[in-house]
Amino acid sequence: MSRSVLYTSSPLLASKTPVWRSRLVLVFIAAGFLALVGRAAWVQVIKNDFFQRQGEVRFARTLELPANRGRILDRNGLLLATSVPASSIWAIPEDVERDKGKLAQMAKLLEMPLAELEKKLQDDDKTFVWIKRQVEESVAREVLALGIKGVYQRTEFKRQYPEGEAAAHVVGFTNVEDRGQEGMELAFEKELAGRPGSRRVIKDRLGRIIEDVREQVPPVPGRDLQLSIDSKVQFFAYQKLRDAVQQHKAKAGSVVVLDVQSGEVLALANYPSYSPAKRVNLSGAQLRNRALTDTFEPGSTMKPFTVALALDRGLVRPETPIQTAPGRITIAGSTISDAHPYGVLSVAEVIQKSSNVGTVQMAMKLQPKEMWELFSSVGFGQRPQLPFPGIVSGRLRAHKTWRPIEQATMSYGYGVSVSLFQLARAYTVFARDGELVPVTLLKSQAQAAGVRILDPNNAQSVRQMLFMAAGPGGTAPKAQTIGYSVGGKTGTARKQEGKGYAEGKYRGFFVGLAPVDKPRIVVAVMIDEPGTGVYYGGEVAAPVFSTTVQQTLRMMGLQPDMNVKPQIVVGVEESF
Amino acid sequence: MLRVNILLLAGVMASAMYLVRLQYESRHLYTEIEKAQSEARRLDNQRERLLADKRGQATPLRVEQIAKDQLQMRPATAGITVYVTQGAAP
Repeated sequence: MSRSVLYTSSPLLASKTPVWRSRLVLVFIAAGFLALVGRAAWVQVIKNDFFQRQGEVRFARTLELPANRGRILDRNGLLLATSVPASSIWAIPEDVERDKGKLAQMAKLLEMPLAELEKKLQDDDKTFVWIKRQVEESVAREVLALGIKGVYQRTEFKRQYPEGEAAAHVVGFTNVEDRGQEGMELAFEKELAGRPGSRRVIKDRLGRIIEDVREQVPPVPGRDLQLSIDSKVQFFAYQKLRDAVQQHKAKAGSVVVLDVQSGEVLALANYPSYSPAKRVNLSGAQLRNRALTDTFEPGSTMKPFTVALALDRGLVRPETPIQTAPGRITIAGSTISDAHPYGVLSVAEVIQKSSNVGTVQMAMKLQPKEMWELFSSVGFGQRPQLPFPGIVSGRLRAHKTWRPIEQATMSYGYGVSVSLFQLARAYTVFARDGELVPVTLLKSQAQAAGVRILDPNNAQSVRQMLFMAAGPGGTAPKAQTIGYSVGGKTGTARKQEGKGYAEGKYRGFFVGLAPVDKPRIVVAVMIDEPGTGVYYGGEVAAPVFSTTVQQTLRMMGLQPDMNVKPQIVVGVEESF
Repeated sequence: MLRVNILLLAGVMASAMYLVRLQYESRHLYTEIEKAQSEARRLDNQRERLLADKRGQATPLRVEQIAKDQLQMRPATAGITVYVTQGAAP
């Protein structure tokens, strides 16, 4: 009989160990599993924030949503400044592949010397360096196409100024970080800038956004700013000013155009100017907004105010005769004289001929306090209420400190200093029948409410005198236009240097209004240091006034108020 | 009983798979939306740039030069303008 083995009941398998040992093993295993379950619950349910955070760090990103900077528009909605995307090239110096040929190509594309580029990439410790900011997108594409390792691009915003240098001083400019630095860009930085938003997202392995984690904070775009400037008037005024400054070899010039009804500034230009988009080698002279920041003695342009006050006090009437012979008058030991002796002049003729002696005679009948009150109420010595950086208030001393000779010289504009803008604004008193109008650089629909300063009849009388001054026999016949009646006053002042007056340095200016019967605009022009020997306001500034008025009124669609010899060959059939 | 359980288990499995698929699809669509939105932003920026360019081409300086040189135009003066008043015609 063969011996067979019965495996099921093998004596070898028969356990000799006690049962408790297997039970103990079972308990250990069970305990191990329990511990795992406990840990899993701890990690995933109870104390999960650490791992949640670690996970988020790896997949979640916070993105900044840039806010668009508001645009600056002119009164007709034409762009004066807007932001357009531009590419900026940056690099991680450590990672950049040092291929001389490719780097040279890149330097050429970016229009920078190779040495400068290499200097930027020199510092290996840095993990981020701008190579060139705000380049054209096509250039950026070409740079990236070179395929240099460690060179990247990023989209930024750059400001564009289609109007260029004509409106540079008003609009101003922003820096490379898109923050306002000058002009309206600076003055309205808060409104224009907007507020960037943000969102938290989860990105996948390929960098695609697959989910928003939290609610988005949407960006608040900057507000568009609509200025009162009319870009056509602005351009025209700038062009004429530039031509005049160049023609007379002058140092600088300014022009201001105000809308009399609304108090809006239609144009404000200075020369020399600059191109806001290409600001290299800018000088202080180019940046100066002279119409608002430069003050000068207003000279003869002050006389209409003295005469208006004398009329308002009932001391004279427009036809009252005044003896100006022998063309000299002595006040407290000082002699004031006229350019020519005129003899007897009416009050109106005193303005027309711009007689210092006649004006002083009227001024000496007035109280210093009255004069001071009028001058300061029309804005002299007061900072114009414009939201603009660097505006000056000029100088008008307290009347208690005036000596008689000062009262006399102030009546014809010496011993007091004003900016061209203040002068233009002050003339709205005559243009608005005695009301001073508040000025604004922002577009406003409504007619501005003025403050009454003079009696309407007297303001109208002064306007007629200004009309005479700009007419034949006056001091500025060159201010006349075709079709529109104009009135205005010339001024020529010697420039102050240190404590005295500079030899041979003058400023010629002209302030006027048009049309005389129902004025719509006030225009002020100033030419600084004409260099060709001709320096009278009537010669250098009045022609700029004339062309500016002519074009502005035509663009406003105003019908001429004076007879014009028609030059139209073909008649117009009135069939409507 | 066992059969019902197996059926339910199969149902749960199918539903779970479907959920995974939907999640995948939703993420995919989300990426598409993102793409479309960034394209919209790009177009918006381009529009802004083109507007600026257009304005740059129509500045008074350029208009005046072309009018003068190419079209032989000259500035209008009051002498060659006929003024019509609105509402004054019969």
